[in-house]
Amino acid sequence: MLLAEEGGSKIVEALHELNVQTIVSIPKVGPFDFSITNAVIYLWVGAAIVFGLFYWAAKRAKKEPDGLQTLAEILIGFATGHLCGQLGEKGRKYYYLILTIFAYIMVTNLIGLIPKPEVLKPYTPTANINVTFSMAIVVFIVTHYLGFKNHRGGYLKEFMTPPGVPKALAGPLNIIFIPVELMGAVFKPLSLSVRLFANTIAGHLIILVMLGLLLEFAGAIILPAGIFVVIMNAFEVFVAFIQAYIFALLSTVYIETAIYGSH
Amino acid sequence: MAFDPESAANLAAGVAMGFATIGPGIGIGYLTGHACEAVARQPEASGDIRTVFIIGMALTEALALYAFVIAIILLFVV
Repeated sequence: MLLAEEGGSKIVEALHELNVQTIVSIPKVGPFDFSITNAVIYLWVGAAIVFGLFYWAAKRAKKEPDGLQTLAEILIGFATGHLCGQLGEKGRKYYYLILTIFAYIMVTNLIGLIPKPEVLKPYTPTANINVTFSMAIVVFIVTHYLGFKNHRGGYLKEFMTPPGVPKALAGPLNIIFIPVELMGAVFKPLSLSVRLFANTIAGHLIILVMLGLLLEFAGAIILPAGIFVVIMNAFEVFVAFIQAYIFALLSTVYIETAIYGSH
Repeated sequence: MAFDPESAANLAAGVAMGFATIGPGIGIGYLTGHACEAVARQPEASGDIRTVFIIGMALTEALALYAFVIAIILLFVV
């Protein structure tokens, strides 16, 4: 984010948490910057937690599950039963993709919510459009790959006039249908990523602005604003779960339509 | 009084956010009301209703968030 650097007010100071800071700088390769920033570090931490949880739970699986194994089992049951129920046999392989997306988004969202001291360079990975968009791109590629794999050339019919329209009309109507359907295909990953990104950053902005106001006008508003920040934080935990759920659910819906066809 | 671009952008961000919350507000209210009605009428279907409700809420809420992104762009990028 390009946040205003000038202005010494405490509110602007509080918003510094949303800035990407380079930790290890690596020279640019063409237009790409591969520097390790705090966002990258927190992404790695999130991946390590997700991987570690499932690896640990699988390695030490017992008949009588203990705490972490129960958590992993609940997550797997949630993803395979509740989220992927509609995918059926053909999409069995993609249960893991959905489970990973769900667990990873939830963990990265929650990492961002834990208050961290300045030394750790706090950052929320999902409050960055690049992170969410790359996740949406994976879903986009999987969706269309599955569409072409299952329907071959017939998948292109998805982008044309739906069947049932009289032959004479279907041809000319393609002029309208093809651009609209193509636009729909492009906007699906875009709306997936923007939804997650904007939800996360909106929650963080509200909390940070409130904290900035607390620091700026200490005294009169300290109690209501403090209570508001605490409640908002609790709400953000709920939002972290809901957004992970929605991202996974919509990915499931897209993949399902690609496998079984919408019309 | 002349309008410089920066204050125009700030004003636009506020106005955009304010107007953008009207539609989704109505939408989420409508959605929640009907979901409540559906659950009251058929409590055994509450699981399915909840799933549809959450999807609908996400899609509705996204509209306000698009405006929010525009507002951020107006504030910090323009």
